[in-house]
Amino acid sequence: MCDACGCNTHTHSHDHDHDHGHSHSQDQSVIVDINRSLFAANDAMARSNREHFEDEGIVVLNLISSPGSGKTTLLEHTIEKLGKEINIGVIEGDIETERDAERIRAKGVPVIQLTTGGACHLDASMIHKGFHRLQKEPGSDKIDLLVIENVGNLVCPATFDLGEHIRIVLVSVPEGPDKPAKYPKAFTSSQVFLITKTDLLPYFDFPVPEAKKEALDLNPALTVMDFSSTTGEGFDQWLDYLRTLVREKKAAA
Amino acid sequence: MHEMSLVQGLFQQLHTIARENKASKVIRLTMSIGPLSGVVIDSFQFGFDILSKEDDLVREADLEIVIPPVIYRCSGCGFSKETAGARPEQCEECKDTILIPEGGDDLILQQVEMEQ
Repeated sequence: MCDACGCNTHTHSHDHDHDHGHSHSQDQSVIVDINRSLFAANDAMARSNREHFEDEGIVVLNLISSPGSGKTTLLEHTIEKLGKEINIGVIEGDIETERDAERIRAKGVPVIQLTTGGACHLDASMIHKGFHRLQKEPGSDKIDLLVIENVGNLVCPATFDLGEHIRIVLVSVPEGPDKPAKYPKAFTSSQVFLITKTDLLPYFDFPVPEAKKEALDLNPALTVMDFSSTTGEGFDQWLDYLRTLVREKKAAA
Repeated sequence: MHEMSLVQGLFQQLHTIARENKASKVIRLTMSIGPLSGVVIDSFQFGFDILSKEDDLVREADLEIVIPPVIYRCSGCGFSKETAGARPEQCEECKDTILIPEGGDDLILQQVEMEQ
């Protein structure tokens, strides 16, 4: 599938459910049982991405949230604090514009922008191609931590595995605490839930313990953190979380 | 929001399946659309209706949709409750609120009937 780039891509080994047998002929019509997921192609590509990232020893995060929850701001502050100790690379996803990539590039890390031209989410094939583009950027040969910023949308990105290790869902204080109940899949498919912009808590009705409980009722395995990227309050727990991820990946390699 | 592209992917699969079975026309197909799959059934049907008009293989095909249930298993006592998708407020047995959904999150092409 990926002869052009020569990476260790999925060889289409038919590990997915792919039997086209069991057909019943009736006169000229034939009934065939398929039982194959329409997400199978994406899932296969996501597995191949994950294997590739494993081979490279890179921890990969997929950030999903509504538009304006502070994904790019979180990244900017994370790079400022961790950029000297961890080699970070970024794949930005948006429907249009290079603006987010420009903001990240200004922080001096390798970054590419994927513009989906209207599509509401990134998929595994875009990440495959995007990662090869990223590898051509200066400084990309020693990335420890790759952060994928998905298109701002709490619905569709939850359905598409990109090959990430950790999926992170963000909700900012001004959005309100009811996102887990309204968009359950984003929370059941994630490993981490971040409540951002906590510096605005005095101005909004956002009961943090209730929001945490709603998310944990859906997915008790979630790691939950709340902080403000701009004031830095609570930000150390996030930085320590990333340090641990990278350290454990290196120890396993 | 992405139902159109999912229907396009489905049609690509149908063309492959038709080729493998030397069929020229799809008469009927069955899709299982899970309530938690993130796929809006009306939008999927709409996409199917629009796009099938432009494709000789599926122009006359009937789309059958089945909706599988979701099972919510209580993390406290293990009691499981089958629903059409909605999450129960709490466990009927022990009132625990941590209920884990199982199944109902996939979009599956189950069966295709074709004319040879």
